[in-house]
Amino acid sequence: MLAAGALASHAAAAYEPHTNYMLQCMGCHKPDGSGEPGRGVPDLRTSVVPFASLPQGRRYLVQVPGAAQSTLSDAELAAVINWIATQLSAVKPERFVPFTAGEVARYRRTPLIEVSAARARLLQQAR
Amino acid sequence: MSWLDTLTEDTARAVARRTARRGLLGSLGALLLGAAGLPLLPVARGASPKPAGAGAADKTQDETQCEYWRHCAIDGYLCGCCGGSASACPPGTEQSAVTWVGTCHNPADGLDYVISYNDCCGKGTCGRCLCNRNERDTPIYIPFESNDYDWCSGSSKANIPYHCSTARIVAPAK
Repeated sequence: MLAAGALASHAAAAYEPHTNYMLQCMGCHKPDGSGEPGRGVPDLRTSVVPFASLPQGRRYLVQVPGAAQSTLSDAELAAVINWIATQLSAVKPERFVPFTAGEVARYRRTPLIEVSAARARLLQQAR
Repeated sequence: MSWLDTLTEDTARAVARRTARRGLLGSLGALLLGAAGLPLLPVARGASPKPAGAGAADKTQDETQCEYWRHCAIDGYLCGCCGGSASACPPGTEQSAVTWVGTCHNPADGLDYVISYNDCCGKGTCGRCLCNRNERDTPIYIPFESNDYDWCSGSSKANIPYHCSTARIVAPAK
């Protein structure tokens, strides 16, 4: 079902999650996900899996502008977040619950305005 | 005017006595066949122009050219014209940490590749080989796929000047 959804909405160029990571995320977050924390580009390796264990964190990972406003479909965005959590994370991903296209679609409808404040709250909760 | 009539008649009769009626058809036929056969000669083929994009003059395989295949989404001065290459920054500059990423089609093998357009920073503007092709670049109000930024401002040294742009192959796009 997921694949069918992705094909229907992105028939022209359906890429694997790794390629979509390279095209949509890597320019700022680096090939390994380490980012530029000193210049406001978070390290995905230490934040994605802890955030995904919190309900508000799951919303944040989808609603953060770089994800929500990307040109990826809901299914593709779910696949990229799941790929980051399983392939790049420095935090053990055993308890990571994968995102589905439906969950991404639900969160994506609500825009996140105060991004930095939401992230600071999550960092405190995740510790 | 009778002298003109006489001259015309005499000339025409003289020509008719000297030549065979079928001779004209024969000569014309030979001429037509010869003309049709001329373009088939190897000389004609040798002189015809080569198809565009073939051989050493292929601009899509020359990294100092804007038409180079990896430059399909570039917006800046080509580092290949500035003392570096399409993959490496010129001496005295450093590569930007953040970058614009897109895909380009390589006509040589028919595959699409992920290309990272890292800017080279730390020296004044190169000014040579400006290239602005912008395939799949979006307007700046769709910011995540717009290439109209000075990526040097995101480098480790703040606000160092932009010099030129590279177009590195990251991986095949699949």
